[in-house]
Amino acid sequence: MAVVEMKRIHVYALKNNRKKILEMLQRRAVVEVDTPEEASLGEAKGPFSKTDTASARLTFEKNVQLIGSAVETLDSYAPPQKSMLAMLEGRTGVNAHQVQQTAEAAPEVAKIAANIVALGKRVNDQQAEIARLEAQLEALKPWMGLDISMRTVGTNSTSVFIGTFPEELTAGEIKTRLAAALPDVPGVEAEVVSTQPQQTCAFIVCLGRVGSKVEAALRGMGFTYPAAPSKKPPAQRAEDLQARIAAAQKDIEDAGREIASYAGRRQELLFTSDYYSMRANKYQVLGDLWQSPHVFYLTGYVAAPRAPALQRELEEKYQAFVEVETPAEGEELPIQLQNGFFAAPVEGVIEGYSLPGKHEVDPSKVMCVFYYVLFGMMLSDAAYGFLISLCTGIVLLKFKNIEESLRKTMRMFFFCGLSTMFWGVLFGSYFGDAIDVVANTFFGANIHVQPLWFAPLEQPMRLMLFSFLLGIIHLFAGLAMQIYQLCRRGKYLDALYDSGFWYMLVGGLIIALVSLDMFQEMMGLSLAIPPIVTTIALVFAAIGAVGIVATSGRESRGVKRFLKGLYGLYGVSSWLSDILSYSRLLALGLATGVIAQVFNMLGTMAGGGPVGVALFIVVFLIGHVLNLLINLLGAYVHTNRLQYVEFFGKFYEGGGRKFEPFAAKTKYFKITEE
Amino acid sequence: MFDWTTMGIVFALLGAVLAALMGGIGSAIGVGMTGQAAAGVVTEDPSQFGKVLILQLLPGTQGIYGLLIGFVTLTQIGVLGGSSDISLAKGLLYLAACLPMAIVGMVSAKWQAKAAVSSISLVAKRPDQFGKSMIFPAMVETYAVLALLISILAITSIGSIQV
Repeated sequence: MAVVEMKRIHVYALKNNRKKILEMLQRRAVVEVDTPEEASLGEAKGPFSKTDTASARLTFEKNVQLIGSAVETLDSYAPPQKSMLAMLEGRTGVNAHQVQQTAEAAPEVAKIAANIVALGKRVNDQQAEIARLEAQLEALKPWMGLDISMRTVGTNSTSVFIGTFPEELTAGEIKTRLAAALPDVPGVEAEVVSTQPQQTCAFIVCLGRVGSKVEAALRGMGFTYPAAPSKKPPAQRAEDLQARIAAAQKDIEDAGREIASYAGRRQELLFTSDYYSMRANKYQVLGDLWQSPHVFYLTGYVAAPRAPALQRELEEKYQAFVEVETPAEGEELPIQLQNGFFAAPVEGVIEGYSLPGKHEVDPSKVMCVFYYVLFGMMLSDAAYGFLISLCTGIVLLKFKNIEESLRKTMRMFFFCGLSTMFWGVLFGSYFGDAIDVVANTFFGANIHVQPLWFAPLEQPMRLMLFSFLLGIIHLFAGLAMQIYQLCRRGKYLDALYDSGFWYMLVGGLIIALVSLDMFQEMMGLSLAIPPIVTTIALVFAAIGAVGIVATSGRESRGVKRFLKGLYGLYGVSSWLSDILSYSRLLALGLATGVIAQVFNMLGTMAGGGPVGVALFIVVFLIGHVLNLLINLLGAYVHTNRLQYVEFFGKFYEGGGRKFEPFAAKTKYFKITEE
Repeated sequence: MFDWTTMGIVFALLGAVLAALMGGIGSAIGVGMTGQAAAGVVTEDPSQFGKVLILQLLPGTQGIYGLLIGFVTLTQIGVLGGSSDISLAKGLLYLAACLPMAIVGMVSAKWQAKAAVSSISLVAKRPDQFGKSMIFPAMVETYAVLALLISILAITSIGSIQV
């Protein structure tokens, strides 16, 4: 149960050491900087003030973004080779020397990033240009038959009209209609360039002196001029457009090639991005420091075990003045959990709920045992457990550099897998009843794998009782945690009132219930509980009940206190539902086994021949992978639920704040000490 | 001549089928609803895929429980081999035993899906609250588990009743 003890550290140092000290702290990642607000300092502030580093930070963050989009562009031209397991490999470590090199090269790399981004933009612009040109080309298509400029309006003595009618017309029809509209105008010539449904592109020529009359008549027929007439003959214009499109395409290719030529510098770019985010982190802290002309003051939290070494290093190497003190009673301390090999993996589960609040202990050590046991019981298949442990075990052995949180999750499932194996053997489930089925169908042998304990499907009542028993142990463990927490704060009476009485009441009632003949008959039990034990249990239950009524409302007075006490006793119903809730151990355990059986049976539908074997293998693989995944999910969710709702409900509220030390919050690389 | 006494196996099978049917319908509706919400989140933030997938699958268990009850019933009544000589009373008993899973399964899957959809939007806004978001739909599932429990206890004990 280890919530790491926190100390407050005060560092006063000369400004000429500021850079070195901050960089050292950032690499070590052991101090959470927590600077007092101006108001709380008051008169003590003296010549100290804060520096505004917001603009510098913004520049760094902009660079991070710039490089981010550069890498994105780069990746679309030269996709990096990523293996499926990249996630497991973790970030590559880099040392201080490499960081120094990056710092020197950073401006140049930022320029490359800017160049890549500019090239990416050029590609986008050219693509838009191509789309525009292609639209023009499309508009020109109906006019391809025309061999003069589309802007021709006539010669000295003729007028020319080039445009479209909103219907399908032939040259003859145009002429007939014009003649009908202008019976006294001779010599109008019409030529159709192209027709499409609802559009006719036409060329009309007439004598110059009747031009305006003809134009008016044409308008009456719905004639319009094209929106963008080309100066050159359409065919020539189309060639020009094609050439421009080709040029744009070549430009895109060139830009693409240039972008791809930076592929070798991807690492450098990512590295520089990390470098800039590191500097942004640093400047954020820098802006938080109180500084006088020559001195700066840094304060924050440090884990107690790390404090002496840090103090020595700061004092000896950087001539700083360091004070380490125990934080004041009222301070809201950040929480860091520390647990051993077996319990640490469930820290993530606790964090998913909430970190321990003030006065609360770290429940990891108690919780992990129950977590593994309950999980195993819900999945309860030896083969599935073996597969889980095998996969996570291989990952843990092979990928040493895996991220810490992922490593913990893997280890958690490794232990869950072991527990699943254990329960699977007890209940005699190996891929459901696969061994029996295979032996029976393909070898004609009548094998039946005997469970080490009993088969849940044959005796569900027995497993249910056992589930309730586990539940009661789990809940009582939660109650014990409550007692421990209260006693640690010296509240012995509260421990008795809020937990002790419940032990008596619930424990007594359970023993009394079990000793009933009716209950034993119903559950098929034969326990000989002597009557005296039953009587003692009932007496205890009565004391518990009276105690609860008397003390639950102890903050109030008079009748209100009595009513609150009665309401407290009503809490016994929540105990009932809490215990019943553990029946999900039975339900989920059966679900795994039965579905596995269903798949095994489906697999044997084609009998024992070669076809049957093939079918069995296919159904077996697909079915069991599916079943494993679904029940893995179910077991995970419901184990969490039993921990969060039933177990934590007895003693744990959470609300702690996570310890977040000043560190290099990098995305792609890990900064190492050496 | 129609003989009521031969109808036992029919009612028993009806129960088995109803459990699988209604549980399956509920889960299909539920997983469909949550799937839509999950897909919406992934369009905005693909990195949440793993989390919303888990939430999507939560209302899927009722279908599995239904299958479980259906399967256990089929084996008990001898449809999958063995003797299928079931009296009318026993057939009705099996039907009744399957009903909790069938009805509660269907209804709870739908409501669990609604809780899961809300949890998915919770994760979309605050990915760090995934642990808690999982609990709200799991609360609804409790009642499906209780129904499963009653159904399975009833089905496995009916065989030894003499009617």
